[in-house]
Amino acid sequence: MVEPLQLRDLAWAFTTFVKCALLLQLVRRKFLDDYPWFCTYVASAIVQTLVVAIIYQTPGLSELVVWRLAWGSQLIVVCFRFQAVVELIRKILGAYLGIWALAWRLLFGVGVLVMANSLVFSKGDWYWISVNVDRGLELSMAAIIVTLLLFARYYRLPIQRLHLALAVGLCLYSTFFVVDYTLLEKHVQQFAVFWGFLDVLTYLATLLIWLNAVSFYPKLATQLTPPVIPKELYGKLSSELNLRLYHLNKQLSQLFRSEDRHW
Amino acid sequence: MNASLLFFLFFALILLALLLLAARSAKQPSRPSVDAFESLSQSRHCSRLSQIQQALRPEDSEYLRDSGHAGLMHELRQQRRRIALMYLVHLQEEFEMLLEISRALAVMSPEVVGMQELERWKLSVTFAINCAYLRWRLRLGLQPASGFTLLSNMATEITRQLDNATTRIAEATVSGAEQSALGRKKINGF
Repeated sequence: MVEPLQLRDLAWAFTTFVKCALLLQLVRRKFLDDYPWFCTYVASAIVQTLVVAIIYQTPGLSELVVWRLAWGSQLIVVCFRFQAVVELIRKILGAYLGIWALAWRLLFGVGVLVMANSLVFSKGDWYWISVNVDRGLELSMAAIIVTLLLFARYYRLPIQRLHLALAVGLCLYSTFFVVDYTLLEKHVQQFAVFWGFLDVLTYLATLLIWLNAVSFYPKLATQLTPPVIPKELYGKLSSELNLRLYHLNKQLSQLFRSEDRHW
Repeated sequence: MNASLLFFLFFALILLALLLLAARSAKQPSRPSVDAFESLSQSRHCSRLSQIQQALRPEDSEYLRDSGHAGLMHELRQQRRRIALMYLVHLQEEFEMLLEISRALAVMSPEVVGMQELERWKLSVTFAINCAYLRWRLRLGLQPASGFTLLSNMATEITRQLDNATTRIAEATVSGAEQSALGRKKINGF
């Protein structure tokens, strides 16, 4: 029977292979210019895997040092992922000048609020600080992506399939990371190896979503621009709305006078 | 179960549910904005408000009871309630259309005022709740008059916001045209 540790190592190796394939596809399909932060994030994740593997193989390092190095490198990767999220938001909303100003304030507010709440609800122990910041950032990113998609849905903004897949992948991994880590922290310390396996599996699923998107979804050469309404139509629309306003107000003033006598 | 565990698990589950909803809806094709503007020229249901109010007045049918036709009066009131319900559906469609135009305007506008957008969002939520409430009141045969006035107020408020937005867009267009004309004049005069 295969041990959980061996399974996790296998999954880890396969994940690294998929990450390399993803980076290769990103380079091959010339995503470096259009999505520099996303590419940097994938590259940093590969480097982190190598760094963590070397740390674990190096003899004589104390458990605390290994812990700090591993989670410290994770924080760097998460920061790159955060930049990738910002990049994606710009790609989706950047063309709409009017709502962009509103959107970035809203998304920034959501991010800060969720991050602050995460830290308030986290353990106070300094030993867990990097982990708590990491979890807060992950939850914050997930909340920002969900808000972005809801915002785009409300304004009926078109989202490219590629962008949607990247956003869903980023959000899914962040959310599952928070769930996995919260359960590990509180209940399943004794099943840490199994938890690690679940974490790797979640990440693998996300990588496969991205690999599929990067390989098969079309990358539009030009950014979609919002439609422009001619000046004549503005004038027509404005007068039509004024007429409606006048009629409604007239109706209302009649209604107010007769309201008390109603059924 | 402590507060931390509850917070993170609950929040993560909510996010997953919202992600499913948002990702699924994002696939829906967006309605062409020009269609929404063209629908402005269609007839308005709000203009029938006074007739509906009149039809729902008790004195409009009470004379039937006085003349010994109580059954007929109940039937007439039921029919009028059905018409009022149909009117409510059309009123909701009109409200949705106005919201659609507001969204299209916001997307094309060079500047959007956050408070106004938030206010419109609150209005749409309140409208949906009041509409459902009024529908049930009508079905149960209760007094609908104040509810109709409330809905009508909301439609007016949306229209007022739309008017402000279109005025701003028109001003921005005119000022942009003037600036570019000035720029051309300067280039020619140079």
